[in-house]
Amino acid sequence: MSSQTIARILDAHAQNTLLNTPAPPLTARNAGDLSADSLYAPIDERMIETAATALESGQTHYVDVPGIAPLRAALAETLTQSHGAAYAQPNVIVTAGMQESRFLTLQMIGETVERVAVPKVVHPGVRKALGVRALKLDMLDVDAQMLPTLDTIRATLQGGSRLLFLESPSRLTGAVYSAEAVGQIAALAAEYDAVVIWDQGLAPWTDEYTSLAAHAADRTVAIGEAFPGSGLGSWMIGYIAAPEALVAPMQSQKQIMAICTSTAAQYAALEASKLYADAQPSRRARLKVARQSAVDALGAAVIPGAAANILAVRAPHTQAAVAQLQAADGADFGAPDVLRLTVSVETALPTAAIMGG
Amino acid sequence: MANPVKTGTNLLYALIAQARSYSDTIIMGRGDPDFDTPPHIVEAAKRAMVEHHADYTPPEGLLSLREAIAARVQRVNGFAVDPATEVVVTNGGQEALMLMILAALGPGDSIIVPEPNYNTYHDALKFARADKISIPSTAATNFRTDPDKVRAALTERTRALLLVSPNNPTASVIQRADLEALVALAQERDLVIIADDIYDLFIYDDYKHISPASLPGAKERTLTLNALSKSFSMTGWRLGWIVGPANLMARVRELKAAITGGTSIISQYAGIAALTGPQEPVQMMADAYKRRRKIVMDALDEMGIHYGVPQGGQFVFADISFTGMDSAELAEKILTDQHVLVYPGSAFDQERAQYIRMTFLQPEDKLREGLERMRVAMKKIMGER
Repeated sequence: MSSQTIARILDAHAQNTLLNTPAPPLTARNAGDLSADSLYAPIDERMIETAATALESGQTHYVDVPGIAPLRAALAETLTQSHGAAYAQPNVIVTAGMQESRFLTLQMIGETVERVAVPKVVHPGVRKALGVRALKLDMLDVDAQMLPTLDTIRATLQGGSRLLFLESPSRLTGAVYSAEAVGQIAALAAEYDAVVIWDQGLAPWTDEYTSLAAHAADRTVAIGEAFPGSGLGSWMIGYIAAPEALVAPMQSQKQIMAICTSTAAQYAALEASKLYADAQPSRRARLKVARQSAVDALGAAVIPGAAANILAVRAPHTQAAVAQLQAADGADFGAPDVLRLTVSVETALPTAAIMGG
Repeated sequence: MANPVKTGTNLLYALIAQARSYSDTIIMGRGDPDFDTPPHIVEAAKRAMVEHHADYTPPEGLLSLREAIAARVQRVNGFAVDPATEVVVTNGGQEALMLMILAALGPGDSIIVPEPNYNTYHDALKFARADKISIPSTAATNFRTDPDKVRAALTERTRALLLVSPNNPTASVIQRADLEALVALAQERDLVIIADDIYDLFIYDDYKHISPASLPGAKERTLTLNALSKSFSMTGWRLGWIVGPANLMARVRELKAAITGGTSIISQYAGIAALTGPQEPVQMMADAYKRRRKIVMDALDEMGIHYGVPQGGQFVFADISFTGMDSAELAEKILTDQHVLVYPGSAFDQERAQYIRMTFLQPEDKLREGLERMRVAMKKIMGER
């Protein structure tokens, strides 16, 4: 017997274009897959040892909802040193990866404001998170590097949006806001008493970076992967760093939907925090070389970006290219005719194929 | 009065925080087994850290894990699911619960919830902007859910029926006749069944656990959750799953992709080891819980406290109405005076303020000490009244 109730659920689901937005894989599906959010990276044996020791010593039980205390403190310290905002342990929630960071911030802060503004070109995970529960949205126009312009941001604030979601670096192109632009965004947010969710997950892949938290920590909710490049992409671990008043509702929701983040991932990340300052600059430098050689070969097709781990190109016949190159489809981000490729030192980017489209 | 502004989950976490401030607290509240994860599972996780640390993690989980889950569902729960399309791996039972509610219900829809029930269901319904229709039960009937009461409570907006067996916090098991009547009602009124089987391996006396989806005609309208947290003492790994018909599971998969994107690769390999490896540790734990259950029931009998006899699960739901106190007040008093953490019934349901939930997830000596401390606290409380 067919069920009208289920038919109704499926109908509503089919109409939910936000939730059904395709998204690139979190990690590569095979050696030639250049579409993933997180590049393949070897893992330091010390991280494995720390995680294994924790499990062997009985760290197999629930831990604190916002994460184990030493990891929260380590993330706070790393973010403080990297981005110039004074974070402490109570400001940090350890999440089960970047998507949980997006979901918790967008949904839990989003429900407290009338309107939420997100870029027209943004990681598809943002659309998916917004598709879980309806919020009133404003879409921000973007410039050639796929970042919302200051004029657009001002206009949306004037129009009533009080929560902005911004990526810097862009998850599609790797482009970042300049220090001056970040200062202006901070001023606009203050003028309109707005909160900004600031995705800075790709910042460790840039040489020069300004976080909004450095200018407006009291209204910035920073999110990202925990220690990207450390080989933890498949372990699913990320962070949210925010003023304490904003942490509380997100922590409550985290408790409701997951209780805590897996202990193995947390202890491995804790070890990664000790190795990161030494290891990350050389990882970034290697990727930068690999990326530059692709930029030299591709020329004007490359959309300028500062993050060494991704490369975006304007390419014709995108659908065919997506399949052939195993690249992320810009259409999923809101930018048709753009491809995003994950830069790797192991796999040379297939520049000839990209040019051939 | 204790925690005047805290209710539900926040109340529980406030008590947990207070419990942690004492060095000698005996936890008889939280559902976290005292046993560590069995060593062969930890070993498998360590191997995965070396060999699979960067494996691709699709939102629905590794196929090899979904195959192991499908085999477990067939073996334990008695129905078949297709690992390719009818299984989604989750961050523990908690995420599974949230995903099932979001998959089945939209704003304004309602669901039948036998009460008392796990407080997170209430939180998830609130998030989904859906309504619950409470079906109360009492210790006098061992917290039985009466199908006639369910029928009488249905409205035009009712879209789903929640069946948690063994129930949390009451530890009652839905008997076959009631389950058949409830499933038939779901079919008649076209309801989605949301089944929570997380305690299905911990059943006492002659009771039997029956998965709703195993009954004729139920599978195509039932989403069933389970997890390894309780059965393999893997609470910190965050590994659970949902099984259900492929059409609904496609929605569950998209919701999973939207909420957390995937599940930690190390936990997934640990899960494969748990489901395909030795099952003796589960039996060992089940035997221990059986002994501890008797210790708790004996102590409650001695204290003159009435309770629903636990038919399954890892806890007792005890009636403290004779104290004349609200359970939140009582729980805080026992915690403050004797450093024993029990959960107030009001955290599960405001109408259950005369109950406390006590887990038996401590070694026997510690459990006995906790019960003795509780006896002292109760004597003091009654003397003051």
